[in-house]
Amino acid sequence: MNKLSLGDKTASSGLNRWVDPSFTDLPVENFSVSGRKKPCPFSGFKPEPKRPRKRKGETTGSDSHSHFLLKDSVQDECDEPWVDKHAPRSQAELAVHKKKIEEVENWMRVHTNTSKGGILLLTGPSGSGKTATVQVLSQELGLRVQEWTNPTGLELYSCSHQEWAVNGYSSQSTQFQEFLLRANKYNCLQMSGDGRASDRKLILVEDFPNLFFRQPSSLHNILRHFVKTRRCPLVFIVSDSLSGDSSSRSLFPRDVQEELDITNISFNPVAPTTMIKVLTRISALEAAKSCGRMCVPDQALLESLGSGSSGDIRSAINSLQFSSHPDSSLEKGLWRMKKDRGGGTQTSQGKTLSRKTQKKKKSKQMKEQEEEQAIGGKDASLFLFRALGKILHCKRQSHEEAEGADGASGPGLPPHLSEHHRQALLVDPELVVERSHMSGEFFNLYLHQNYMDFFSEVEDVVRASEYLSDADLLTADWTSRSVMWDYGSSVATRGLLHSNSQQVTVGFRPLHKPNWLQVNKKHRENCQAAASLFRSFCLTPISLQTELLPYLAKLTNPMRNQAQIAFIQDVGQLSLRRFPGRLKLEALTDKDPGQLLLDSEEEQEKKKKEEEEEGQGASEDGLLPSQPQPTANQVLLEDDDLNIEEYDSD
Amino acid sequence: MQAFLKGATAQSTKPQKDKATAGPSTEKKAKAVPWVEKYRPKCVDEVAFQEEVVAVLKKSLEGADLPNLLFYGPPGTGKTSTILAAARELFGPELYRQRVLELNASDERGIQVVREKVKNFAQLTVAGTRPDGKPCPPFKIIILDEADSMTAPAQAALRRTMEKESRTTRFCLICNYISRIIEPLTSRCSKFRFKPLANQIQEERLLDICEKENLKYTKEGITALVRVSEGDLRKAITFLQSAARLNVDKEITEHAIIEIAGVRLGRIMMDMIDNLLNICFRGTFEKLEVAVKNVVDEGYAATQILSQLHEAIIEQDLSDKQKSAITEKMAVVDKCLTDGADEYLQMLSLCSVIMQQASQNN
Amino acid sequence: MSLWVDKYRPNSLAKLDYHKEQATQLKNLVQCGDFPHLLVYGPSGAGKKTRIMCLLRELYGAGVEKLRIEHQTIVAPSKKKIEINTIASNYHLEVNPSDAGNQDRVVIQELIKTVAQSQQIQSSTQREFKVVLLTEVDRLTKDAQHALRRTMEKYMATCRLILCCNSTSKVIGPIRSRCLAIRVPLPSTEEVCSVLSTVCKKEGLLLPPELAKQICEKSGRNLRKALLMCEACRVQQYPFSADQDVPETDWEVYLRETANAIVSQQSPQRLLEVRARLYELLTHCIPPEIIMKGLVTELLNNCDGHLKTEVAHMAAYYEHRLQLGNKAIYHLEAFTAKFMAIYKKFMEDGLDAMMF
Repeated sequence: MNKLSLGDKTASSGLNRWVDPSFTDLPVENFSVSGRKKPCPFSGFKPEPKRPRKRKGETTGSDSHSHFLLKDSVQDECDEPWVDKHAPRSQAELAVHKKKIEEVENWMRVHTNTSKGGILLLTGPSGSGKTATVQVLSQELGLRVQEWTNPTGLELYSCSHQEWAVNGYSSQSTQFQEFLLRANKYNCLQMSGDGRASDRKLILVEDFPNLFFRQPSSLHNILRHFVKTRRCPLVFIVSDSLSGDSSSRSLFPRDVQEELDITNISFNPVAPTTMIKVLTRISALEAAKSCGRMCVPDQALLESLGSGSSGDIRSAINSLQFSSHPDSSLEKGLWRMKKDRGGGTQTSQGKTLSRKTQKKKKSKQMKEQEEEQAIGGKDASLFLFRALGKILHCKRQSHEEAEGADGASGPGLPPHLSEHHRQALLVDPELVVERSHMSGEFFNLYLHQNYMDFFSEVEDVVRASEYLSDADLLTADWTSRSVMWDYGSSVATRGLLHSNSQQVTVGFRPLHKPNWLQVNKKHRENCQAAASLFRSFCLTPISLQTELLPYLAKLTNPMRNQAQIAFIQDVGQLSLRRFPGRLKLEALTDKDPGQLLLDSEEEQEKKKKEEEEEGQGASEDGLLPSQPQPTANQVLLEDDDLNIEEYDSD
Repeated sequence: MQAFLKGATAQSTKPQKDKATAGPSTEKKAKAVPWVEKYRPKCVDEVAFQEEVVAVLKKSLEGADLPNLLFYGPPGTGKTSTILAAARELFGPELYRQRVLELNASDERGIQVVREKVKNFAQLTVAGTRPDGKPCPPFKIIILDEADSMTAPAQAALRRTMEKESRTTRFCLICNYISRIIEPLTSRCSKFRFKPLANQIQEERLLDICEKENLKYTKEGITALVRVSEGDLRKAITFLQSAARLNVDKEITEHAIIEIAGVRLGRIMMDMIDNLLNICFRGTFEKLEVAVKNVVDEGYAATQILSQLHEAIIEQDLSDKQKSAITEKMAVVDKCLTDGADEYLQMLSLCSVIMQQASQNN
Repeated sequence: MSLWVDKYRPNSLAKLDYHKEQATQLKNLVQCGDFPHLLVYGPSGAGKKTRIMCLLRELYGAGVEKLRIEHQTIVAPSKKKIEINTIASNYHLEVNPSDAGNQDRVVIQELIKTVAQSQQIQSSTQREFKVVLLTEVDRLTKDAQHALRRTMEKYMATCRLILCCNSTSKVIGPIRSRCLAIRVPLPSTEEVCSVLSTVCKKEGLLLPPELAKQICEKSGRNLRKALLMCEACRVQQYPFSADQDVPETDWEVYLRETANAIVSQQSPQRLLEVRARLYELLTHCIPPEIIMKGLVTELLNNCDGHLKTEVAHMAAYYEHRLQLGNKAIYHLEAFTAKFMAIYKKFMEDGLDAMMF
């Protein structure tokens, strides 16, 4: 979950929410430990009968930074953020793909009708409409949403950090547990008493107690307990973030998901077309209301807002409100300036644009994206899956375009070098690597794991593998590594792009996580184990590993202990099968397998479109959506780095 | 001043002479001292072959100020010996301990050490007289041996210290490769290059030692020793001692020296190289593989084989172009070998180049 | 019951089976009561370690054979703790500093200093110095080797070093010049055979000379390997037959199959399979440089003439990179790909030539 929004939420929404005590049967002692002076100890949960209000509070919380931002310029009637004002009220208004809504709806129907609740995990980038979907659907289905909010008080923050750390955390998790169990129990009490309208409800957890981020196992224990007694559906919402702290993986690892039967539905960033639709609707509504007191943003502005927010509808609406405010003349000027630069083509509608012109704009858009970020836009980051796809699929201009676009690209290559001629690239490799939020080293590993599928000629593979080898060599020396990393990844990415001379369109290919880290770790561990188990032979590692162990496996020598025997069986012997089974390929899937295709739709030839869509269908069926998780690996590498640093320091 | 100098030299050289003349009989009882230490020059005058440095140091022994020094040159040319001898003469045995700080690569020499240890030592002020009343220079000496293995930050930290403490402290940096000393440091020192010792000087020294140790030797043995050591006196003395140890009561012959040095000048090695070249010129690749494998299995270091091959190739009847192609490859191989590449593969690659070049001839 | 390799290891200089002249020299060396630092080098399986242990026994008596494995913790000046295992007797200490990886310099500095500064435990022994045996010196970082230079001189009085390595190419000059170098070449084919038959005789077995020869060839004159092979033969089949298959290690067979896979087809798909096989070898503790070397040998057998030269160059080139780089797989794969390409080209050219 996004750290920022978490903090904001607790700060702004925490205080006024936990005032009314709903459960009087809770033992107060539990909470007195924490030493807080709140009037109500049951701060963790609040039944929220009125949905609209709730929704509003929720969004204010998560978008409070934009709220602050707007405070000065927005006055009287403008005081309400558009995000709340125009929050979706029906399924139709949701800016989420219909299939996704359906998926969530089905789940909710199934799990609320039976008295046995289940656990649903919603993941997706922030601003993709997860919470809104749950709210809208639960309203339509007549469910009451009961939400957990972190009970962290502000005064606690300010008093003593130590106390907070010691007591606050432990009590937070106990509170969370209490909340879950009570909410469960409460439900059945209600059933007997009240009418049918309120008997079904849904527990929503969007805000995780901090403790769980450090000790996910405690969450798992609570959930295990919950699953045994579950009565009502429990929904977790976790935002993906690209910057590395991937909470959904650490909070809900695969095995736990399976164990607890957690359904995972992942949301995609809001598609640009949907985004524009929503933005247009909102601006139209607002323009009508304000009677000309605000400047109506034109289509081009909407478009650039849409792309600048990279699929985050919340931030897109915020920037829309900000930029269409009459006072913000400065920004206005900025937009204008950019629009002018964008030229005539930019003003025409995206949909009517021919694919050809769109492509030409590609490089221009690159630059623009950076400018957009200055104004409320989101830092456009790429999921690893997409980033890899950009490099591996190797998009280049087609011939006609090249001729049409630039006659003045300078003289061609001399004849003996003509085999190295390539059309202009449509991607900027360095930018792709940067936006993947990975170190170049890792990016190279991912590329290395996957590049082979995209090549058809051995000659090309030779060149590509050589570039990868070069890249590794560049970063070999640890003293200069920090400087050379960028160059290394540049050599690798550009080398790969260059050597892919055939440009075969391969369609969808599954990507995999690099085996190397795992192999290397195993190699090291085995070597260490060998050294420690067979120390009494006094051999150098090489002769131990290549001579003694393999032969020990062939000898019957009774003096070995159990650990040694097991190790020899594992390492000393190699199964001589043709295809080694030990290494399983771990598929690298995306939040959104379709995302790559969505992107390529714009860029690739029309005739490929059908193919792609087939691929999209197939991939959605075949792949369990999850998120690329480089972090686990990163930890490994960081250890290495640590060593090196210390070595450096003395 | 003159008296001081004479006194000092006499004092420091005498015990050494005594000990040396006492010869092996006392040495048995005394702690085993490697000859390298035993015959280290005890005064500046004894330093062989490095006239410029000796001249400067002598001046300072006569009372002139001493600049910061930077000695560089190949190993075994007397860099450390020179400054140690000079320091001993300057301060005499009592003061030596408190006036000289010697730091080398075996000591921790990170930036922290430079900051604290060196600074603290440098900041002590010293008097211009010895306890026994004799005059001595009013400064301390910090010897940074093997300075090229100091990290660049540590070297940088030294710059300011050097300037600030110039009133009371002289630095002497010793290194093999001056290119690894950062520019600001080299510019603060007067540089002295230590030349590899001339054969004749080396021979004199060795004969001197042989005499003092009562060794039996042949003239060829000593000549071989000089040739093998390539101007590195320490190596020569180490070899001499080893040879003496391995062949007790026997003559030190050329053969013994060559075996110790591991240099392949003898018959077997020449045969091996000849054989290798023969195969390169006339044989097949399969034979070459076997030959290279044999050479590696014999345990000779590839770098040595490389230098032998180099000599042989130069003398071969090949065109200049061929020779240059081969020697270029040799340079590459040498670099790879120092980087730790596999000897067999590198040798194989080199030999196949020779083969290729040779086949172009015919 | 221990392995033949250990069971029949000679334990005194006089009992050594080959390089007898050198053994005598070493004996002379020790008899003086003093010896310089030693640098023992030679290929793996030539008997360096055996020789060193014999030397130590000559020096200190049977006491050096009472070994204990110690786990030492060294605290570096940067407060980082380094754990390292040592094998020690009362008289000597054996340590492989490269176990400590990048921190090997600290091991050199601290460990040797502590050993050298502590006095001999039993003053009754005739030697004033202890011996520190450093193995795999050629794997030491340059930093550590530099640290060793002065340490060697400084603690000469209380401590002798015996450095043990496969090749002196990676040992810096200053260290070489401070040591007496002792080269231990591999035993000749005859010597290996005679050792094998002696050992078999002691075991009460009859080893046909043909089989001995075959084992010797397969082992590449590596005596340790030869003895292990011989013992594996014994497990496989007894009485021995002259034309019995000498068991090879699994990884060698696997590597050969990998090479065959490369030769039989050249395509990205096959390269992917080869990659998986390389990973498999790596997880079985086979060092990348050994894989590279084995692969080259096998591939060289599969191609001829002009192609061999090219392969030899490539091998040298990529093996060098492998040593420098971080991730071996890049270079192994680049080599394989390159081989595939030139082999493919070679075959196609050959086909063309046949057609016309």
